[in-house]
Amino acid sequence: MTANTNNPVNSETVDASVDRLRLDGISKSFSGHVALDRVDLHVRAGEVHGLVGENGAGKSTLLNILSGVLAADSGSITIDGSPVNINSPLQARASGIAMIHQELQHVPELSVAQNMFLGRSVTRMGGTIVNRKHQERIALEVLATLDPDIDPSVPIRTLKVAQRQLIEIGRALMEDAKVIAMDEPTSSLTPAEFLRLARLIEELSSQGVSIIYVSHKMNEIFDVCSRATILRDGRNITVAQLAQTNAAGITASMVGRDLVEASHVSHASTVPVLKVSNLSRGKHVKNASLTLHKGEVLGIAGLVGAGRTELLRLIAGIDRPDGGSVQMHGNKIASNDPRAAIRAGMGLLPEERKRDGIIRERPVTSNVALPSFRFFSRWGLINRKKIADTSLQILREMNLRPLDIAKPIGTFSGGNQQKVIIGRWLAASADIMLFDEPTRGIDVGAKAEIYSLVEKLAADGKAIIVVSSEMSELMRLADRVLVMSEGSITGELQGDRINESAMLELAIANG
Amino acid sequence: MKKEEAPAQAVKGGLKFAVGMRDLGTLFGLTIIFVVFSWLSPVFLTAPNLINILQQSSINACIALGMTLVIVSGGIDLSVGPIAALAAVVSASLMVSGVPIPLAIMAALGVGALCGLFNGMLVAYAGLQPFIVTLGGLSLYRALALIYTDGNPVFGIPSEFRALTNGDLMGIPTPVIIVAVIALLCWIVLNKTPLGEYLMAVGGNQEAARIAGVPVALTKISSFVISGVLAGIAALILVGRLGAAEPTLGTLWELDAIAAAAIGGASLMGGKGSIVGTILGAIILGSLRNGLTLMNVQAFYQLLATGIIIIAAMLIDSATRKTG
Repeated sequence: MTANTNNPVNSETVDASVDRLRLDGISKSFSGHVALDRVDLHVRAGEVHGLVGENGAGKSTLLNILSGVLAADSGSITIDGSPVNINSPLQARASGIAMIHQELQHVPELSVAQNMFLGRSVTRMGGTIVNRKHQERIALEVLATLDPDIDPSVPIRTLKVAQRQLIEIGRALMEDAKVIAMDEPTSSLTPAEFLRLARLIEELSSQGVSIIYVSHKMNEIFDVCSRATILRDGRNITVAQLAQTNAAGITASMVGRDLVEASHVSHASTVPVLKVSNLSRGKHVKNASLTLHKGEVLGIAGLVGAGRTELLRLIAGIDRPDGGSVQMHGNKIASNDPRAAIRAGMGLLPEERKRDGIIRERPVTSNVALPSFRFFSRWGLINRKKIADTSLQILREMNLRPLDIAKPIGTFSGGNQQKVIIGRWLAASADIMLFDEPTRGIDVGAKAEIYSLVEKLAADGKAIIVVSSEMSELMRLADRVLVMSEGSITGELQGDRINESAMLELAIANG
Repeated sequence: MKKEEAPAQAVKGGLKFAVGMRDLGTLFGLTIIFVVFSWLSPVFLTAPNLINILQQSSINACIALGMTLVIVSGGIDLSVGPIAALAAVVSASLMVSGVPIPLAIMAALGVGALCGLFNGMLVAYAGLQPFIVTLGGLSLYRALALIYTDGNPVFGIPSEFRALTNGDLMGIPTPVIIVAVIALLCWIVLNKTPLGEYLMAVGGNQEAARIAGVPVALTKISSFVISGVLAGIAALILVGRLGAAEPTLGTLWELDAIAAAAIGGASLMGGKGSIVGTILGAIILGSLRNGLTLMNVQAFYQLLATGIIIIAAMLIDSATRKTG
């Protein structure tokens, strides 16, 4: 990496003739706010190029310009040496640029093949009838190299996220994409699925397809990319040769300072506050039992689909268990009754924040007070001042940005929405908190904040369960880790035993 | 859009009568209609006519208030007209047979509450779509009203009861006062009580609300029961005014009520709505009809104007939402 971080022009010599894609001097402002300031991105043919930066650094804006969702204010885009005009997603696709979004955009009820051909159906009889059989044949051909297990005729909702991602890649290949941009492709993949994706990326690049790989996870960037463009505050910081630097160096360039890795401190006591006995639900959760202590952070590891989210939902009373029981502070909690669990002091931070966590249009205060309006009311009337005071006090300490609690929660970034939902349970005085993928889709800076928050909560005597697909997260946070595989808890790790290989071994064990 | 005023509002809280930007927009629309009609007709902007407008709008406003709460929670109530008809004929026939008036009034409210409870239970526990449930209710309650009366109007409403709804207080007709009180109560429910927050949360994101411990089923049922009771009150006002209870009364009331709520800013997707807006919406529709009648515009064209106003209001709404 070059040390010259003040110079936005990268110092290496680039031969324009080998660049597959060149974005030069791209600028974009939104009502006065500069999102991108003369940003360059040069990607060679067959190169896997990382694009990194904190949330708000301009990655999404750049990708949106590349994929035709937004128009740049100035700057140029060249593909294979010839300038292209990209004013719509359709033009981007026609120019050979494919975009794989973090949140995959499929029509769940349509088949795999129908989704792949959405907008460009294969027709017969003069364009009136969609030739489904023919579409499925082509889809099968394309998917054969990616995942032969995928049946193009099944509804896409029946597939796992990893498979749906392959379908997007397949669609890109079908359209002869020269450049495939992947935005946080592994945010919901398991380590094993990531390895498969990494192999596929390698294969694509050997066929000459260029990949732009956006991720917050440094180990992935180093695994798959050869170079990375680093953005900060809408500017180029540098283009890093990854062979010559390390994760700390990249992170420092991203945030403009060194991040100190804290070591793990345990606040666990021996007082049990939550006892889960033989909870079961179909094939998702089989006879799961666990005990959680005051001040303890219990991690739950496992592959996606191992039943971790399902277990948390059973504990929180959101789904109906086939059998088993939950005890809090020694009292049995009615099953499938989220209100009973909340009354007893439980709080769930759901994995799908948008779908299960927030009420978008409502202000922060209403989102905070949602489970506890009764406590904020007198004679049936809500005491808004009390809610505002409590929210401000909690969220100021959590460093909510901006600290404007009257604004709709939908206008906040993911990390800040997460703080509001955590604040919700603090306001409700929950002492048992279930965190499902607390840092999913959150940038490095906000991640560190969430980590220290979890540690602080544990120090305050809260009992916490953290489900995470990031093993480094569990190693950082958990006093104890349970590993799940195929619906069963396959093992428990403590102390030094909490490491990646031990977790992986148990995660692929037969339940 | 409301960046400057918002923090202050949250901190002050209390009983401050916050009028949102959207309500100001509705008020602006009403003002334009007033300006146009007072220019076209000298009678329009006189005290008797304005009171007349309020009185003519009161029944629709009453229904629309309940409709707003249902819409905010993500539902819709198509059965309000027939509920009103059933409440009217039951209560009227009780009065005619000599049952004390307070009991007959309670009966009307009770019929409304029961019908609303039935709608709400089907939506909340059987998991049926509100549109379909109340579409069924629309036929069901109408049929009950027709069967109960054999299709004939109930005449002979006692004059004591008629005096209740035909009187006035300092020149303001009783129906207007009744509906104003109901509007205030609905405003308090929506803006000052946990139920109001629950309605908006359930309408905004039902699953997130459930996970956060909102009593979703109870919230939905409450909205339908309130809507049913208000349909019963609207029925009493009409029966008092006409002196008879027709089993066919209330036809198409649901559409006027939805129009008033939508003009007032309620989103049919749920999660959004305003009591102040709905009242203004009902007055907009009322003054439009009143003004056009004053100008001797034929009924067909009045309908045309109503349609245009509804669509124009929604276009302006969606345009300002995007930029705001």
